[in-house]
Amino acid sequence: MGREVSESCIDNLLTEMVSTYCNRFYANKPELAARRIEAIGYQVGHQLSERYTMERPRFSDHLEAIKFICKDFWFELFKKQIDNLKTNHRGTFVLQDNRFRWLTNMSIEQPPENGTSEELSIVADNKALQSMHLYFPCGIIRGALSNLGIPCAVSADISNLPACSFVVRIKA
Amino acid sequence: MQFFGGSEISPSPPVPTATGNNAHMMYIFNRNGVCLLYREWNRPLHTLNPQQDHKLMFGLLFSLKSLTAKMDPTNAEKGNLGIPQLPGQGCSFHSFRTNTYKLSFMETPSGIKFILITNPRTGDLRETLKYIYNLYVEYVAKNALYTPGTLIKCELFNTALDQYVRSIA
Repeated sequence: MGREVSESCIDNLLTEMVSTYCNRFYANKPELAARRIEAIGYQVGHQLSERYTMERPRFSDHLEAIKFICKDFWFELFKKQIDNLKTNHRGTFVLQDNRFRWLTNMSIEQPPENGTSEELSIVADNKALQSMHLYFPCGIIRGALSNLGIPCAVSADISNLPACSFVVRIKA
Repeated sequence: MQFFGGSEISPSPPVPTATGNNAHMMYIFNRNGVCLLYREWNRPLHTLNPQQDHKLMFGLLFSLKSLTAKMDPTNAEKGNLGIPQLPGQGCSFHSFRTNTYKLSFMETPSGIKFILITNPRTGDLRETLKYIYNLYVEYVAKNALYTPGTLIKCELFNTALDQYVRSIA
């Protein structure tokens, strides 16, 4: 597993992918664009989890699998582990990354309080675009977990950047 | 820090923040003369309105670059004055100093021009401008929410820039 690729290359590719799906392929249908991006993430997560669990034994339960995602899987992808894991012991897990790598360079300026409605709609658009970028990592987590035999639904929450939380709900 | 209205091309200057800063102001232009960023920390005298100010600055540097390249005594070919130079071609002008300020300039191969105006006692700011270009690449060029050729409205870039400029000796 020695081959490497430049990080800027990946960053730019992901940015362009989201922008193409949102602005060209499914220009006025953000839900379809989101689903497509998430599906791409699903495939990627599926294959990556295959590769990164090659020499390991099966996971004994859901918590072990989630811990694998938080530690080894996240480390392979982002060179760091998940900073905080919370669970309600009833199938919901919250994975918090305090400095999510793909979001570190994204920022927009907040408009002044008396901004025009046009400016405010631009900010709303930017926020929507920002959340589009999260479908890919959500798909990756969902794909990885379903390859380990755990069907689930994953959503993301960016209420305080640059920290990012992924909420995993395991289907019963 | 607030941007008030202003036209699409040239931003109005924001309210100056910390005093006692070494740098006075900063401009970033792209290849077509669009002012991508104008940042002001310490500028007591405003003579022109922002659009004229930016046009004047861009024109000045364009002419200076052209003139310094043509007057280069070590250059063998003698082109005509006024022919636009590609970034990196010929000799590159990097600063001028008056009794009240020093203007430092850097142009990247992609045509992005960085201009930093500081007090006259500052030394060579080429490394500083290179670092600011690095900040630009990280927070602006790689920002998924930024469209190239438009005003830079990235908070992370602004904060990082302010912080770095404050530390220039």
